[in-house]
Amino acid sequence: MSNIDRRTLVKGSLVAMMAGATFSRAGFADTSEPILLGVSGPLTGPNAQYGAQWKQGFDLALDEIMAAGGINGRKLAYQFEDSQSDPRQSVAIAQKFVSDPRIVMELGDFSSPASMAASPIYQRAGLVQFGFTNSHPDFTKGGDFMWSTSVSQADEQPLLARYAVQRLGLKKLAVLHLNTDWGRTSRDYFVKAAKEYGAEIAITEGYIAEERDFRSTLVRVRDANPDGLILISYYSDGALIARQARQVGLKQVICAASSVYSPKFLELGGEAVEDVHVGTRYFPEDPRPEVQKFIAGFKKKYNGQEPDAFNAYAYDAMNMAAAVVRIGGTDRRAIRDAFAKVKDVPSVIFGTATFDVATRRVKGAMNAELVVRKGQFALWDGKPT
Amino acid sequence: MSSWLDYTINGLIVGNVYALVAVGLALIFGVSRLINFAQGSIYLVGAYIGWVAVVQLHTPLPLTIIVVAVSAAMVGLIIERFGLRPLQNSVRIAPLLATIGISFVLDQLVMLTFSPNPRALPSQLPDVRFQVGGGTIGPLDLLIAGVGITSALLLFVFLRYSKLGWAVRAASQDRDAAMQMGVDVNRVNQAVFGIAAALGGVSGMLVGMYYNQIDTAMSLQATLKGVVAEVVGGAGNVPGAVVGSLLLGLVESYGVAVFGTSYRNLFAFLLLVVVLVLRPNGLFASARQAPPEPLTGTFIAPSRPVRVPRWALLLAAAIFAVLPFFPVSFYVLQTLINAWLLGMLALSLTLVAGTIGQVSLGHAALLAIGAYTSALLSLNFSVPVGLAIIGGGLMSAALGTTLISPSFRLRGHYVSIATLAIGEIVSLVILNWESVTRGPIGISGIPPLSLFGYDLISPNSIYWFSLAVMVVLALVQGRLLSSHLGRSFRAIRDDDIAARAYGLSLNRYKSLAFIFGGFAAGVSGGIAAHLYSYINHETFNTQQSILALTVVILGGLGNVVGAILGSVALVGLPEVFRIAAEYRILIYGIVLLLLVRFRPQGLLGTI
Repeated sequence: MSNIDRRTLVKGSLVAMMAGATFSRAGFADTSEPILLGVSGPLTGPNAQYGAQWKQGFDLALDEIMAAGGINGRKLAYQFEDSQSDPRQSVAIAQKFVSDPRIVMELGDFSSPASMAASPIYQRAGLVQFGFTNSHPDFTKGGDFMWSTSVSQADEQPLLARYAVQRLGLKKLAVLHLNTDWGRTSRDYFVKAAKEYGAEIAITEGYIAEERDFRSTLVRVRDANPDGLILISYYSDGALIARQARQVGLKQVICAASSVYSPKFLELGGEAVEDVHVGTRYFPEDPRPEVQKFIAGFKKKYNGQEPDAFNAYAYDAMNMAAAVVRIGGTDRRAIRDAFAKVKDVPSVIFGTATFDVATRRVKGAMNAELVVRKGQFALWDGKPT
Repeated sequence: MSSWLDYTINGLIVGNVYALVAVGLALIFGVSRLINFAQGSIYLVGAYIGWVAVVQLHTPLPLTIIVVAVSAAMVGLIIERFGLRPLQNSVRIAPLLATIGISFVLDQLVMLTFSPNPRALPSQLPDVRFQVGGGTIGPLDLLIAGVGITSALLLFVFLRYSKLGWAVRAASQDRDAAMQMGVDVNRVNQAVFGIAAALGGVSGMLVGMYYNQIDTAMSLQATLKGVVAEVVGGAGNVPGAVVGSLLLGLVESYGVAVFGTSYRNLFAFLLLVVVLVLRPNGLFASARQAPPEPLTGTFIAPSRPVRVPRWALLLAAAIFAVLPFFPVSFYVLQTLINAWLLGMLALSLTLVAGTIGQVSLGHAALLAIGAYTSALLSLNFSVPVGLAIIGGGLMSAALGTTLISPSFRLRGHYVSIATLAIGEIVSLVILNWESVTRGPIGISGIPPLSLFGYDLISPNSIYWFSLAVMVVLALVQGRLLSSHLGRSFRAIRDDDIAARAYGLSLNRYKSLAFIFGGFAAGVSGGIAAHLYSYINHETFNTQQSILALTVVILGGLGNVVGAILGSVALVGLPEVFRIAAEYRILIYGIVLLLLVRFRPQGLLGTI
């Protein structure tokens, strides 16, 4: 199936000729009409911050892809539609994308209800829905057009459990988790692994995303008498819990999932997040070139701003999309098949990423044991806190 | 049990935080009988102005407070002058809708200016902590308590002993009489909005400092908790708002203590419902106080409805029916499917809110009940999808009516607040009742729509199916409204006392309306569940309830055709503005405000 009819070809090359001076020679190789990816995600509404972070990651990756000559000489671009992470809007966007022949693949949505409501439409139309924040265990079960680089909690949580139980020696744990599909799945994997490592789970508490006050929850935690607190949180609520834990006098070791990894966690948590242990997918001192290139590029593009986990997910997702399109071309079905063929794509989060064809997710992940020291994330030196 | 002391202290501390919002809400309600849904947005604006002052200008705390108070007051004055004053002679519900529109606009302006990323707002007070019980209290806790209680006291003194305060109270009791006595009602309103906004702004700043973080999503939660606290205390009663807030904080804290964190808000909203059932005007409503809304129907505009001629309706129905034969994109069809689903919800709400006068702000709960029932029937019991959807409708009718029945004896705004609470309760029960609803994991793999064994998966067939269901529901409802029953409904809306004197059983008729309405909403939820194939407790949220109310008011309360027109408009507008990306909700808010301003009785008027 060719997606380029003669008219767009002519129009495209006209545009290219006019803009020719600014284009590299490679821009003329095939056609200058960009290869278009659809993005469905929140730009307004309560999750707007994540959409904004996605854009930063995408734009950086696209800059680098273009600098390296694009996709076999063609420009890669995305069309971001605001879904507010609302299933009603994500299904309309899905119809828009599947009926737009220029769109070769879709990325997103952010939340599970919005993503999975749209899955049937993408599946039936045969357009890949590439969810890179979709850790819901059933997301990729929506069909063979659903693929995900979302950090698999089945992989990540045992690593966090090992950090907390074996490395930090915590034996009795309190688990606080965001009461969403992600938080709940993560908690279950964590608890299972922690028990296997021999720890006792004193208490688990789920809180809703809008929650701001954790004092009473922390009294319950205190009464359960744990020797460590595990936070399965995003950076904003993680910082809140850490602050309030210190305020109500809890001095236990705090250990948090990689989702708190953000400069914002340090900014919002202040002194309270000092000595918090974080199991994470990447950290700035990681010497791997992919990571260093990402961080340097990000700081350069965004006025010295430090990237965080969501920036990295989006950056990796765009690079993965580029790798897939390089193999699959612009045919939607070929792109689906290309997901099974990409091997060892350089990535910030995974080191090198390869899909497990059975689960349609990326297996394995880099893991670093970090701790906050003097207001910065640092590699844990093995010393107890 | 030293922990109970800690729970009590924690409850009082968070109660203080709620009080800051509730006092401003109470003040405005006291004067304009208006639940100001924009109060949370002013709180948001205050927090960000505070951030600019502290982080960029490095102002000392007293100056920060003054800067925030003055600028927030300015925002309040602008809202009053340009958003609400032009509406003062229109339907009562128009200003309510206007405050919702204003909150959209303010939230989006803040987001566009400051980006949606959360920011740290450092506290400007020394970080010393005093040991109390097993926990600690810091200077900021005390400052928040001080601001809450002092402002409540000052306002109380102001209302009782100052001349402007008298004018405020006079204007709130009888606007026309006050005007005849020479009270400049506009000045009074201005003063009140200025004060309330200043308070709201300062509270946003203080709460931001308290948590050391502010973000652009904080306004809706603030409004919700503030409204609950205010109504528990007795709407419009300023000291009552403080006590209501503290009580709310305590109940939440004890709820966490006994049942755990995930039940926290459940107890907050249960408290509200219990208080409203036992004391319909809140805890501190005095016996002498006139009921806040003497008639159920005060929301309804005395307008001449636009009569859409029958041929035009038939033509429109025919055009929509044959639309898929024309080369329209699936995107347009999907948008219209969303409009038809919202239309069913709007039919339901226009019946209960418009025809019988029970304004509901928790209507999304009916969607959720229908969706879960239909999904579980088809998944767990292999009920054919068509029957499962009807089952969802019946369950919504039965359960919804039962849940909402305690609110039947309430009047005016209290009905909307009680239904808001019931909506939240349903959502929280779904989140926590894991054995049935699978809790936060949600229900996935819901079978697609099907009818008599044929799967409806193409956009065309789903479009026709939902259009047909909506048209049938609309026809039944139209027939109902023109019958004797419909006249009885409207009699109850227009004057419940006269209706009762005439021998109508209010509760029975209200139940009937909710049964019809619940069925339509449940069917809509059921279809949505099979369309999405995945639902969880967040799929049908408060925003959906607010959207439905907006649709109904926009179309004209009680107006069947208006509800459908409103649905098409409000599903379509954001899609039309899609090209505007981050700006689209801002534009949507402005369009909403203009519609309310120039057509407060709704596009087609009230029937």
